Parts: sequence; C-alpha cells; structure tokens
Amino acid sequence: MNQRLDRINRFLDGVARNRREIVTPEGIALEADVANNGERLTAFLIDFLFWILATVLLYLVFALLVVEHMSGAVAATIIFLFAFLLRNLYFIHFELTTQGSTPGKRIVGLRVIDRKGGPLLPAAVIARNLTREVEIFLPLGLFLSLPKVAVGWNFWLSASYFGWIVLISALPFFNRDHLRAGDLIAGTMVISVPRRKLLAELVETQAKYVFSRSQLDAYGAFELQVLEEVLRRPASAETSEIHRQIAGRICRKISWTGSDPSADALDFLKAFYTAERGHLEREQLFGRYRSDKADQSSGQR
Amino acid sequence: MPSADLTRAPAQKIVLRSAEFRKGRETAWRTLDDFVSRVEKKGIRHLSADELQRLPLLYRATASSLSVARSIALDRNLILYLENLVLRAFLVVYGPRTGVLEALGGFLRRGFPAAVRAALPHIALATAAIVAGVAVGFLLIESSEAWFNALVPESMSGGRGPASTAAQLRDREIFAPWPGFLESFVVFANFLFQHNATIGIMTFGLGIAGGVPTLLLLGYQGLMLGAFLALHYNRGLLPDFVGWITIHGVTELGALILCGAGGLVIAEKVLFPGRYTRLDNLAKQGTAAAGLAAGAVLMLLVAGIIEGGFRQLIANTPARMAFGLATGVLWLAYFRSNRDGAGDEPAA
Repeated sequence: MNQRLDRINRFLDGVARNRREIVTPEGIALEADVANNGERLTAFLIDFLFWILATVLLYLVFALLVVEHMSGAVAATIIFLFAFLLRNLYFIHFELTTQGSTPGKRIVGLRVIDRKGGPLLPAAVIARNLTREVEIFLPLGLFLSLPKVAVGWNFWLSASYFGWIVLISALPFFNRDHLRAGDLIAGTMVISVPRRKLLAELVETQAKYVFSRSQLDAYGAFELQVLEEVLRRPASAETSEIHRQIAGRICRKISWTGSDPSADALDFLKAFYTAERGHLEREQLFGRYRSDKADQSSGQR
Repeated sequence: MPSADLTRAPAQKIVLRSAEFRKGRETAWRTLDDFVSRVEKKGIRHLSADELQRLPLLYRATASSLSVARSIALDRNLILYLENLVLRAFLVVYGPRTGVLEALGGFLRRGFPAAVRAALPHIALATAAIVAGVAVGFLLIESSEAWFNALVPESMSGGRGPASTAAQLRDREIFAPWPGFLESFVVFANFLFQHNATIGIMTFGLGIAGGVPTLLLLGYQGLMLGAFLALHYNRGLLPDFVGWITIHGVTELGALILCGAGGLVIAEKVLFPGRYTRLDNLAKQGTAAAGLAAGAVLMLLVAGIIEGGFRQLIANTPARMAFGLATGVLWLAYFRSNRDGAGDEPAA
C-alpha cells in the first residue's frame, strides 16, 4: 500500500530517505523516516550547548553562595559532579516527559522510539542515556586527564581511549538505522518526524469543463500527484507560466477540442485535476488502480 | 449520499467520495493535531481531563481515517498529513508516562534488585573469577614478593611494596590520619569513585567481546587484592588489613562483581543467541544488563564515600569489620526486597 507513494515522494522531495515500518498495536503500518547522522549530530550539539550553559550557571550560583574556602580540587570535583548529574538528568527527563525528544531533538524534529513499535519504557530511556557516558564522556574524561606524551604506557593508554571514542562514535555510520551503542542496548531508534500541514482541498465543486472517459484514461496516479504539487505552489509569474505550459501539454495529450484554456490555465488545470482524481479514485475503488500513464494493467480496455 | 459518479454525466455539482470523506472528518483531525502539538510542546499534563479522555478516541478515529484514505484517496498531501499525524499521535498515546524521579525511583526500588536476582549464575561466575584471582595472587606473592611490582602498577601500589616495613604500612596506610571533611568526603571519595567506576564500566563494556576479557579483568582485580593480602600477611598485618579493606570492600567488590555479571549477561546473549538474532537479544537483555551496571556504579559511589571518608574516621579493626559486615547484610536485604513488587504495589 505504502509503496505506492514511494515513487512520487522520491520524485518530488528529491532525496531518498531510509524508512522503517512500525506496526502500531492497532495493526496500522506506519512508515517513519530514520534520522540521519547529520540531524542527530545537530541535535546532540544543541543539547550539548544547553548542558554546558546550565552547568556553568549552576556552578556560578553555587560559587557565589559559598565563595570562601574552596580549594581548586574541591571546586573541580563539585563541577564534575554537577556536570554529570545535569547531563544525565537533562536527557532522561526530557526524553521521558516530551515523548522521546530533548530540546535539541525537538528543534531538529527527531524522536526516540522503541524499535519494535511498542511503548518507550523508562528503563530503555535510562539505559540509552547512561550508555552515552560509557560511549563518549568517560573515555573523553580519561583521555583529557592523561598527560600528552609521545611514548610509553600513557601514550598507549591515551591512544586506546581515543580509539574507543572514534570507534564508538563511528558506529551509527555502519548500520542501516544509524543506531549508536545506546540504541543497540536499549532497543530504541531515532526517527525524524517533521510536522506536516494539511493544505486546502483542491477539488472544485462546479464543473466548468467536461472530460470524456477516454481523455481521463490518459494519465495515472503519478501524473495526478505531480499535478497536485504544481497546483499547490504559491502563485507567481513563474508558476502561471508553468501552469500554461502544462495545460498546453495536457490538451495535446488528450486531444482537447474545447475552448483554448491558455487564458485561464489555472481554472482549466483545477477542473482537470478534479475530473481526473474523481475518475482514478473510482477506478481504484473497483480494483483498477492505475499507477501512471504507462500502466497497461488497467484502464484502457 | 449522492453518487460520486458525476464526472461522466455532465452536471454542475461535483461530489468526490474522498472530498466528502475529508469534509466529514477534518474537524476531528484538526482537534487531534491541536492536542498532539500541545503535548509535544508542554507535556501531557497540559491537557485537561476531558481532552485527555478524548485523545485515544481521536487517535483511533484518525488511524482508521488513514486506512480509509489510503484505499480511497489519491490526494498525496492528505495521505502524508494523516500518516504524520497518526505517527505523532501514536507516540503521544503510547509514550512514556513517568517522570524522571518516578523512573529512577522505580529502578532503585524494583528494577535493580530484580536485575540482580535474574543474573545469579553470571554473578557466581564473576565471583569465581575474582576468588581465583585472589588465590593465585596470594600464593604468588606469599612465596616471592619480587612478583609484587610486576603485578601491581605504580598508581595502585602508592609506594607500598616489598620494601615497605610493617610500621610504614600500619601508620601511613591502615591507620593513617583523617585528612578532613572536604578532602576525604569530596575529593578523595570522588577520585576513588571515578577510578572504580572506570574499571567497573570497562568490565561491563568488554562483555560485548564475548566475556573472556571481562573474566580476565575481574581475575586481575582479584590478583591485585591477593597480592596486597600476601604482602600484609608476610608482615603480620593480615587482620588489620582485612579490616581496612572490608569496610568498603564488601560494597566495592560487590559492585565490581555486578558489573562483571552484566557484561557476562551480554556475552552470553552474543555468544549463544538462541532463537533470536544477536541484535534482538541485545535489545531484549541489554536494558537489564545496563541496569545491573548502572546500579553497580551507584554502589561504587557509596563505596567511594565509605573508603574516602568513613574508613579513616573509624580507626579500629573490629569496628571496621563490623561496619563492612553490616553493609554486606544491608545489600543482601536490599537485593532480596520487593520480590513480588507488582503484586504488592499496583501503583506506579
């Protein structure tokens, strides 16, 4: 069923996105776009920025309240503790309360979901976020705390921490669903859910032009949906020119003998869209779905 | 309902089945869209009781609208909108319902003890690895202290070694003076915690490599402990050292064993996938195993506080042993608690 829209989506939206099917408990198959690495990195960087800001703020407040007698080591320890707590509570809190999205994810339009389509459980949210500590922050902290030397035991230790970070960060590049280690452990994945708008109905209520059945048989669903996209474009001189060209092409294809439509191309196209959609939808109801103009399996009998 | 069959017979009025369908249901879709957008922005608490009641009904109605639209409509914008709306509503209706505190509380009350109880064979194996390490380490060093420096790295030994005398060990280590509140409870405890957590998490993470590195790492920790035991045994300090190590060691070793057990759970599922694929297994068992490790890291935090702070405050061997024993009993009681929590507490 859903594959019917794949070709037109690819044609009109340009990029082919990696999609994953989720079956809801009601048995409805939904297709979700897998979030790509760029989107996930952007979301993470936004969250990272928020985290740094929050940590610095909290530390400043704390330092102002108890400003005296704090040695460097104590201050460093406290700031590490703040950073650790904030970072984990931030991700876990937002993923639990705002349907699997942190502020960064919401800005980019991403969601965390259960890979099997079940509910997103708190345990999974906790697991996928605590794993981030092991993936990035723990080895990063160890790497930064070691002296940077070119030889000896410490060099190999630094190199192994660095290698760990690189390998783990590269994991999303090597699987179809762009899962990081935390997603593997928790059984989750990240999808992209941009908000879509319901646009106005294009179908006319008055028939200004009348088309015959054989004229309507010239096209299929693919052409209809391309026409739909053209009709939904905002009005401009360029759009009117395109409308005129398309109207001329349709007239030639269906051997239109009525009045010349180039004067009010938009009206003609809307009328044709209405008639064509009514025709194709009725044919579809009778089990004769016509995918495009080259589709010989139905229609032209 | 008028017939949709009007395009053939030229008439003024056009009625499309899909357009009629949309006209009849559009209000419901827009209401659902409004609810979902508000929940996405502010959370589920910002819906009124009445709206909350209507949410699942609207969701189901819209989901069935999608099924109908897919079979009768060729309006691409309409189908894409409904797919998007149903997906967003699905995520709201089946989304998590707990806050961060509830989730963490539930994990501490039931999740962690249950994960520990479910992994008993793995815990036994991890314990065996440590015990074997202790035995080997003790026997090696007891007969020849020259091995000590080869087994224990500089950062761990902290100046202790074959050259240390009994008096040095007693005054500088076992009964060293308390360095003060901030130094002990904040700085030193944090240092110990970070060090131990690193080892614990490594033991867990290496489980993905089949479990052998996990067992080796656990064995090595045992080996170092055995080496220290032998070093003190040779100087007649064994009871004092055992007291010094027990006070935090019960918690610390317990946490290390749990981390190792978590790694072994993962290793088992990777090595013997059974009827599921390895990836499915990881998703099924990974959460429990990660819970084991996360709980163990919390235990290490407790161990760090005991080791950094309380150990030097309690400068008395029997009291230290009693303290260590008490922590052990408390942990066992905790792991045995809330065994049929689902029956006892229907709430949450």
